Amino acid sequence: MKYAIETFGLSKQYGDFTAVDALNMKIKEKSIFGFLGPNGAGKTTTIKMLTCLIQPTNGTARVAGYDVKENPNEVRKIGMVPQLVSLYGDLTVRENVELCADYYGMPRDLKKERIVELMELVDIKYAENKMVKQLSGGQKQKVSVVASLVHQPDILFLDEPTIGLDPSTKRVLWDLIYDLNEKGHTIVLCSHDMYEVELLCDKVGIINQGKLAAFNTPQSLKDSLIKKYTSNGPFKDSSNLELEVDEGEVENKQMSIMVTNLNRDLIKEIEDLPSVCGLKEHSSGRIIMDMDDDSSCAVNDVIETVLKNQGNITSIATRDPSLEDVFMKVTGKDPGE
Amino acid sequence: METKKIMWMLKKDLMVLWRHKPRLMSLLLFPIIMITLFGYGMGGSLENIPVVLVEQSEGPITDQSVEAIHNMSLYDVKAVMDDPDKAREMVEKGEAKAAIVLPPDYEDLQTTSQKDVVLYVDSSDQMASQAIIPATQGLFNQISSELGIKRMEMMGTASNGIGVNSTPVNPNQAPRLSTSLQNVFYSINFQIDKLYGDIDYIDFLVPAVLAMTVMFSCMFGMGESIAGERERGELARLFMTPTSVSTVVGGKIISKLIIETGRALILIIAAILLFGIVIKGGMGLTLFLLVLSALCFVGFGIMISARVGTQEDYMQMVMPFTMPMMFVSGVFYPLETMPWIFQQVAYLVPLTYANNALRSVMLKGAGIGDIWLEVLVLVGFTALFFALGVTKFNRDI
Repeated sequence: MKYAIETFGLSKQYGDFTAVDALNMKIKEKSIFGFLGPNGAGKTTTIKMLTCLIQPTNGTARVAGYDVKENPNEVRKIGMVPQLVSLYGDLTVRENVELCADYYGMPRDLKKERIVELMELVDIKYAENKMVKQLSGGQKQKVSVVASLVHQPDILFLDEPTIGLDPSTKRVLWDLIYDLNEKGHTIVLCSHDMYEVELLCDKVGIINQGKLAAFNTPQSLKDSLIKKYTSNGPFKDSSNLELEVDEGEVENKQMSIMVTNLNRDLIKEIEDLPSVCGLKEHSSGRIIMDMDDDSSCAVNDVIETVLKNQGNITSIATRDPSLEDVFMKVTGKDPGE
Repeated sequence: METKKIMWMLKKDLMVLWRHKPRLMSLLLFPIIMITLFGYGMGGSLENIPVVLVEQSEGPITDQSVEAIHNMSLYDVKAVMDDPDKAREMVEKGEAKAAIVLPPDYEDLQTTSQKDVVLYVDSSDQMASQAIIPATQGLFNQISSELGIKRMEMMGTASNGIGVNSTPVNPNQAPRLSTSLQNVFYSINFQIDKLYGDIDYIDFLVPAVLAMTVMFSCMFGMGESIAGERERGELARLFMTPTSVSTVVGGKIISKLIIETGRALILIIAAILLFGIVIKGGMGLTLFLLVLSALCFVGFGIMISARVGTQEDYMQMVMPFTMPMMFVSGVFYPLETMPWIFQQVAYLVPLTYANNALRSVMLKGAGIGDIWLEVLVLVGFTALFFALGVTKFNRDI
């Protein structure tokens, strides 16, 4: 199996503070990898080391087959959309992108063609002759993406690319990420947006206090929180580097059931079930309840109780663990905290 | 007025200052450096101008004259010799600002011929020559009067007066330079030889102002070019690409150099058109020196900006270098008139060599053979600054 990125004990020290602590991970080629972690956990520092913007203190990494310490200029052929837009404010959109293309040594004809294609793709061509300093945050981010993709990199790093963007601009970027991945590009997405990561990423790594705390597919990470309820355990990837989340409580594990002929006796009986911790709401025939995490048959108990009392179930829903639950479990913090 | 808010703003500014050590250091050191330079270096009158003395006779009058010259704080007698040509050569080489040549018949009170005291003066140093000429003239006027009294005593008559007849060597300068003091018997004929003709203060000032302008524009410009771009994140975009530090530095140098060469040309043309400056040496050599100076100061700017994170920090770090450099390098006053310690400092800064070389070419008509040492030193400074700038350049974003 080919890996686009491999890290070997990658570390970064700032004085006494260890920003990244002996990071070992492998990211497959042509995948979309989501890199999560609380603020200050070491995400951006890791990205900067992988893109050769800063030097590792210890360890090393291979990006696109090149060692970040030995062949930094080869590594720099990747694309990078930084957290802070780094464009020349006094140059126009087109001039900025052309300058980037020139830095990568692109042939003139290919450059022109590619710039038009990308600007149309992210819908910024209409502003190509505007000074960058006159653009909105979202427009600047689009230009930054175009500037980072102009040289057709195999690997693209995006450090919180959709932060502060409106939903439609986010969609444009998400579509672009999908398209690029389908064309065979490897994407590393650093984000606090759990929905975005869950939507786009094949695999997720969660870094906490400089250490890799979880590494697997989003579904596997979520499943690992409830794996004791499954007969076979969560899906396992062939990579032996995967780090699963310890099974444990999923906060607010809930079940919602709608019964057309709901009455007080049935509510009381459900409330008294040992697998139900408490009713949160009951109105218009719907009961929302917190479930006991230790019980593997809590849902069955509720359904059986309703049916025993001639209850007529019209809908039933349970809330599975989300990536946010995984994040909170691993880091002890809310996303973005 | 919301006093509390003002206090909070003040507190914030002080906290920021405390946390930016280069700014704090500059704030503390810069005024001390400036006041020291002004107080000790520029505040006094012109003194200690290096001169050489030529004695071609021996006796009490010579001894008295030499002693009088030694006693004047204006002069710093670098050598006493007996060869007028060698003394003139020392002035031409810049080893002394003037040579006072006493004639072979200086001791002879019996002779009826005039005693020709010659003053060779480096007129390219307008400030020094302007101080030396009247002071030396006054001194020999006094000596002449004393000789006259002695002469009268010897001759027993009051009908003979002794004075100084001051005439320029160059007859073209006669209307301005000649000061006939007393047309009397046995006068001292005081001759002034301005080696580079009449030079106004503006002529003296322009070469150094050119170098100084290049220095300021290069050093302040590099702050915007590197520290500013680093601060705004623009440099990060460049460092994301496969571009080496030496390429980045090289690119900055070339673009800055082209701009500064254009600026140097405008400066020279403006000086010629506005002030009628005459460049006695080669125009090409003048331009070369300005470009070399620009290169040197761009290197200095790169060296400082190699590690600073913000433009404000950069400006605060270069200020303690640029302003003192301007004062100690002889832009406004000759180096020789400064205290010993400042003279030593002057030779540690590149602007001094740029000034000297430009003045030599523009005022004296010097060629590359005359200023090779200054050129070599500037090249050395440039290489040192670039080496430090490239090796210490902080690529981390």
